[in-house]
Amino acid sequence: MIEIACLAFLSPLLSGIISKIKNNLRFRQGPSIFQPYFNLSKYFSKEEVVSSSCSWLFRLTPYIVFAATLSALLLISFNRVGDLIAVIFLFSLARFFLALAGLDPATTFGGMGSSREMFIASLVEPVAMLSVFAIALSAKTTNLTFIFAQQSMSVPTIMATLALFLVALAETGRIPIDNQETHLELTMIHEAMVLEYSGRSLGLLELAGYFKQVFFFWLISSLILPGFNEPVFLIIKMLVLCLVVAAVEVSLAKMRLFRVVDFLSFAGILSAMAIVALVLGA
Amino acid sequence: MDVNSFLATLTNKHKITPVKTFENGADELYVETNQAGFGAFCLALHQELCSPVMAMFARDLDDKFQIYCAFMNFQTQTWVFVTMKILKTEPEFKSIALQIYSANLFEREIKEMFGLHHLGNPDNRRLHLHEEVWPQGFYPLRHDFIPPNNEPSSAEYEFSLVEGEGVFEVPVGPVHAGIIAPGHFRFSVAGEPIINLEIRLGFTHRGVEKLLENKTPLECLKISECVAGDSAFAHSWAFCCALEKINRINVPDKAVNIRMILLELERMYNHVADLGGIALDVGFSPAQALSAIIKESIHVLNEKLTGSRFLKGVNVVGGVAKDLDFTAGKRIVDSLIQIRRDFKELETILMSSVSFLDRVDTTGVLRKKTAQDLGVYGLAGRAAGIKIDTRKGFMPCYDQVDFKLCSSASGDALSRLKVRMEEFSQSVNIICQLTEKLDNGKIVADDINIKPGFALGCVEGWRGPVLYWVNLNDVGKIDRVKIVDPSFRSWQGLAYAVLGEIIPDFPLCNKSFNLSYPGRDL
Repeated sequence: MIEIACLAFLSPLLSGIISKIKNNLRFRQGPSIFQPYFNLSKYFSKEEVVSSSCSWLFRLTPYIVFAATLSALLLISFNRVGDLIAVIFLFSLARFFLALAGLDPATTFGGMGSSREMFIASLVEPVAMLSVFAIALSAKTTNLTFIFAQQSMSVPTIMATLALFLVALAETGRIPIDNQETHLELTMIHEAMVLEYSGRSLGLLELAGYFKQVFFFWLISSLILPGFNEPVFLIIKMLVLCLVVAAVEVSLAKMRLFRVVDFLSFAGILSAMAIVALVLGA
Repeated sequence: MDVNSFLATLTNKHKITPVKTFENGADELYVETNQAGFGAFCLALHQELCSPVMAMFARDLDDKFQIYCAFMNFQTQTWVFVTMKILKTEPEFKSIALQIYSANLFEREIKEMFGLHHLGNPDNRRLHLHEEVWPQGFYPLRHDFIPPNNEPSSAEYEFSLVEGEGVFEVPVGPVHAGIIAPGHFRFSVAGEPIINLEIRLGFTHRGVEKLLENKTPLECLKISECVAGDSAFAHSWAFCCALEKINRINVPDKAVNIRMILLELERMYNHVADLGGIALDVGFSPAQALSAIIKESIHVLNEKLTGSRFLKGVNVVGGVAKDLDFTAGKRIVDSLIQIRRDFKELETILMSSVSFLDRVDTTGVLRKKTAQDLGVYGLAGRAAGIKIDTRKGFMPCYDQVDFKLCSSASGDALSRLKVRMEEFSQSVNIICQLTEKLDNGKIVADDINIKPGFALGCVEGWRGPVLYWVNLNDVGKIDRVKIVDPSFRSWQGLAYAVLGEIIPDFPLCNKSFNLSYPGRDL
């Protein structure tokens, strides 16, 4: 439980660190790594503005998204209860409501964001499932606790982990799928859906985003070199992952929207091959 | 081909004779026709010269209106103006836009500013003075204009409507998320692909042409630098050029060299900023970071040379106000070595990134025919295969330097990017050639006395040709200025280039043109 509290508390730091590395790679100083905390405290102390044409759905969504993502994070620690498939479903639940909330204010960009988010989700979710199955096949369980108790790493799990990394890039709205830094509403995906949010609601959604990110980072870190899953090693592995994500973001341009299909199919094929290898190998 | 044989060809071939012709200076020919012959003459010139309408404008003669329509003659590198007079009692003329599409925007502008109806042109939409804020019946460029004090009518602008199953309208702007000028973009989309784009501009219309009326050339020079901030030098040079032509001022060679150096520096900082902007719009930020460094070092160089990062306050009628001596030339060359090195690196970063090239290649294609019909000249035109650069021929001072006309055939965002890269390198070469010629000569002409008259000034700014047609009255003040920024026509090119593209690619297409809002919203 303490572990989860730490993870939750440190989750915004990941974004701060990635942003810092990115800026340094671009010969810039960039804001402090604690900037996400300052942003959050700003959001929670600000007044919220809600369009008069919005329904209850718009107000409720941030709480649902926050609750769903927090539950996913909590599943890590509950012994023998945490189920990887349940996590994927919790994220889908959050996405479902967020997409509806994007449509609710009937603005130009919200609808575009929701439509794109669902388009990408239709690719991300099956791929995420496939890679989860591959990992589960290897560990012979979908229970998170037992998956993390694995001591060795086989080639199929490496492939599945790589697929999971690509999924994580898509899920956390990073280049080459989405661009968190852009101000161009016409190109946004996730940002377009939450464009109408302000104040506390925006803070909750941002926080949920950090939780989701830390969950994926933590999952991937635990799957790589599973012999070293003490907290210190986990933190080191997550920092290395931050470096990798920052390097990917700086070295690639954002893909054309319809190219995302190719990108995620690649992840899908990787996990499918992992499953085939596991079945044939067993 | 001399003027007489040229006119004879027109008369024999097209069976039309002008009322009166006269030459104004070495490179302007004015052909006055009657109202009936105007359209036929314009059409004949349009076909003979293969030139779009470069400028079309009216002028208030107090008892009459005069309409001018300017074409480029590429063979002799001169300008041909067709003019006609219109009685004030019958404020209308037959539209030529049905035959020559590039006249359409100009006709709409004339209608709005002078109240002259373009008979036969179905496009009656307002360009600058929006219905919502400007009442009917007030024509600002007429001499007897009084500012309106009554409420505007309740009329609303009508966007062209695209109907069909699954077709949606996406309104964007006029207020945008970034710090940019206002413009409204109305997309009609089926899913992500764009079926139609209508661009409505004019939100920042400042009335520059009205503002310049009855001012002294000196006052106008200051204003011309503010017409489009990123082309301050090109605009002020074009204005000076027109005045120098009217008054037959011989600008000293050294002043011309300094002007050319500074114009190329303006081109360089804009081109490199656009390369970075294009990269940033597809989320490729390291290239943008490097381009910002190069842009800043050019601004710093500008400031060291002239005291202004944007090269303002340099041009004066008859020369330049800031002297660049031999040591300044050395400083320029020194800075250019570093700039060129950084630029090479930027080029490598952009052209070796597969993910970046994938985004710009074949995106936002402007076809050559479309560009020709709309009159999209300059950078965007050259990238679409229109090999016209007014520095070659229309600006005689550029004959002394050796440079290549950069063009491409495909007309997509990548070719606009490549043309920018090539032009940047060419500009560096031009500057290096010119710095060797910086001697101790004069920088302003001696004999400057302002006489009445009119002339056209043309300077190839970084977007394309910037035109200033200036008419001075008897007391040496400005009677009428017509400014044509290349953006005026090129915005239409953008609307065609994005057809069939998907909405998330629009910012990229837009940036690859990078047109000016203030240049359009005079």
